[in-house]
Amino acid sequence: MYHLALKMLLGDRAKFVMLVGGLTFATLLMTQQAAVFFGLLTWTTSHMRNMRAKLWVVDRKVEQANELKALRDTDVNRVRSAPGVAWAVPVYMTIQSAKLADGNFKPVQLVGLDNTTLVGRPPVILQGRLEDVRLPNAVILDELGVKRLSAGRAKPLGLGDTFELNDKEARIVAICRADRHFFGYPYTYATYTQALQFAPKQRKMLSLVLAEPAPGWTLAAAASSIEAETGMKAYTEDELFWSTIWWYFRNTGIPVAFMSIILLGLIVGTTISGQTFYAFVHENLRHLGALKAMGASNGLLARMLLVQSLTVGFLGYGLGALMVTAFGRSVLARGEPPFMMPWQLPVGTFLAVMGICCLSALLGIRKVWNIEPAIVFRG
Amino acid sequence: MQASTQLAVHIRAVTKTFGTGEAAVRALKGVDFDARQGELLMIVGPSGCGKTTLLSVIAGTLDFEAGEVEVFGSSLHGMKPREVTEFRKRHVGFIFQQFNLIPTLTLIENVCVPLLINGTGRRVAEQKSAALLDRLGLQGRGHELPRNLSGGQQQRVAIARALVHEPRLVICDEPTSALDKDTGALIMELLRDIARHPDRTVIVVTHDNRIFKHADRLTEMEDGRVQRVHDQAGNSGENGGSSLFPPSPKLIT
Ligand SMILES: Nc1ncnc2c1ncn2[C@@H]1O[C@H](COP(=O)(O)OP(=O)(O)OP(=O)(O)O)[C@@H](O)[C@H]1O
Ligand SMILES: [Mg+2]
Repeated sequence: MYHLALKMLLGDRAKFVMLVGGLTFATLLMTQQAAVFFGLLTWTTSHMRNMRAKLWVVDRKVEQANELKALRDTDVNRVRSAPGVAWAVPVYMTIQSAKLADGNFKPVQLVGLDNTTLVGRPPVILQGRLEDVRLPNAVILDELGVKRLSAGRAKPLGLGDTFELNDKEARIVAICRADRHFFGYPYTYATYTQALQFAPKQRKMLSLVLAEPAPGWTLAAAASSIEAETGMKAYTEDELFWSTIWWYFRNTGIPVAFMSIILLGLIVGTTISGQTFYAFVHENLRHLGALKAMGASNGLLARMLLVQSLTVGFLGYGLGALMVTAFGRSVLARGEPPFMMPWQLPVGTFLAVMGICCLSALLGIRKVWNIEPAIVFRG
Repeated sequence: MQASTQLAVHIRAVTKTFGTGEAAVRALKGVDFDARQGELLMIVGPSGCGKTTLLSVIAGTLDFEAGEVEVFGSSLHGMKPREVTEFRKRHVGFIFQQFNLIPTLTLIENVCVPLLINGTGRRVAEQKSAALLDRLGLQGRGHELPRNLSGGQQQRVAIARALVHEPRLVICDEPTSALDKDTGALIMELLRDIARHPDRTVIVVTHDNRIFKHADRLTEMEDGRVQRVHDQAGNSGENGGSSLFPPSPKLIT
């Protein structure tokens, strides 16, 4: 009977297309928007993936990774002297202007790393040597930086090329790969002392301290020891990650904007699918009643409706997922808009779509169960 | 007792009321009714007298309030809803006024439905259906859609659907009223043949006095009761009123 159920639905071309289209649209909207949302949220924590440290010590008022408040130079030593700290190194982070060949300026994220240890160094060096960053005027530029700062040049920036960073000459000694910054600034790494020279002189030129707990100390214990000793805020990597994400949840319209579109997808999908399927059942009530008269049980009819509804669900989801994947591939290839699709996301959308379909089927099933088989004899 | 006189349906004092209070309609007011095996029985009477209601009760598609309904020796009254459904599935074939074929399914697929509901495999069901359509004069058209067929042809498909699972009881409500006179007569001849099977009973509700001649017996209803029963020999039950059968069925063609 199930193949006939499917044929009945397929035979109603308009409703079939409407159902599949509605569910495709819902899948597309929900998955794509959620992926962009996740992508955007991960961008907010790019520092953490580009610098990697177990403990992040910052000013007491700092709540998220993209808004650091300057510390005093001596604060590194105060962290070092706290019990439970294996080592602690300074990092200077600042946004500086790089001058392009065509005379324009582009902001870059300058990261000054501890001269001896280079803790916080870029995750992947593509060309050149990391150690060369200790040479005079040396910087390591990420791929995005190469692309951005090459504007107006005959050929793209490469090893040994120079550009002006805040009116001072910077020489590229290595090119690295780094996760994209939330604001889209290219990452430019230098030694701590070199970074201080690139940047205009200020009173406080320490942004944060990266540290690691001594053997035998848990992250939490070391963090609270630092806080007790220095009065600064010590985040574990995880804490800062979530603190940053939550900060954007609380303080920006980003989550609301995305959530409402995702919700819209859910509502539109449910409405289109529910309405169309209900109309389909309604129009076929006479035939479903005839089947019931002929001895089709409520269970059989319910299963037929479920087969119909879940089939369009699978089709709609499949098409939608395919389209999102195609979108994701094309934008990821260009590295433009944010996009992140952890496996939970398609699974979640799949469950949502199946939920919509079950709900739609249920509306129909309720109607079918209430048919008196005797209606088949009524005009 | 001869097979032809064994009772297929035996109904006593059945009542059915639709609605409650002021709006209540007493559709059946104590109906006594019998149908024999191997006969074509018609239920006739004015509009609203309860023909369809009685037919629905016999078919097990409608509950009744009081009285006794026995079909092939089992009482419908004592059955659970599930058992009534099971009974319809196995033993009843349905033919409707508006044919009620599913427009998006081919003729074969339409005819298959009762077999599939009964759990017959798809291939066997399709073979049987195709064979039956052939026998009913629709050779080679099994893969067409119902809309390509005339009314009479559609009703023949419906008859195939009603017979394909070899039910003992075939129930028809106004099977000819959507058809012209000649086509109606052809359909009735077909039903007539079907009823010749000694194990089968065909009950036809109709308004259409042109087809009365095809019946073995006529049950005349009026206002929720069975008024008279006529047979082809011209004998009438009850008060022996005039026969509804034409004087000589053979003269009318
Ligand atoms: N579902 C229902 N709800 C309320 N009243 C009903 C219902 N079904 C039938 N009736 C009423 O019961 C009475 C008998 O109806 P029924 O359909 O059995 O008559 P009928 O003899 O088949 O008429 P017709 O020849 O017009 O088809 C009528 O008065 C009808 O209005
Ligand atoms: Mg009627």
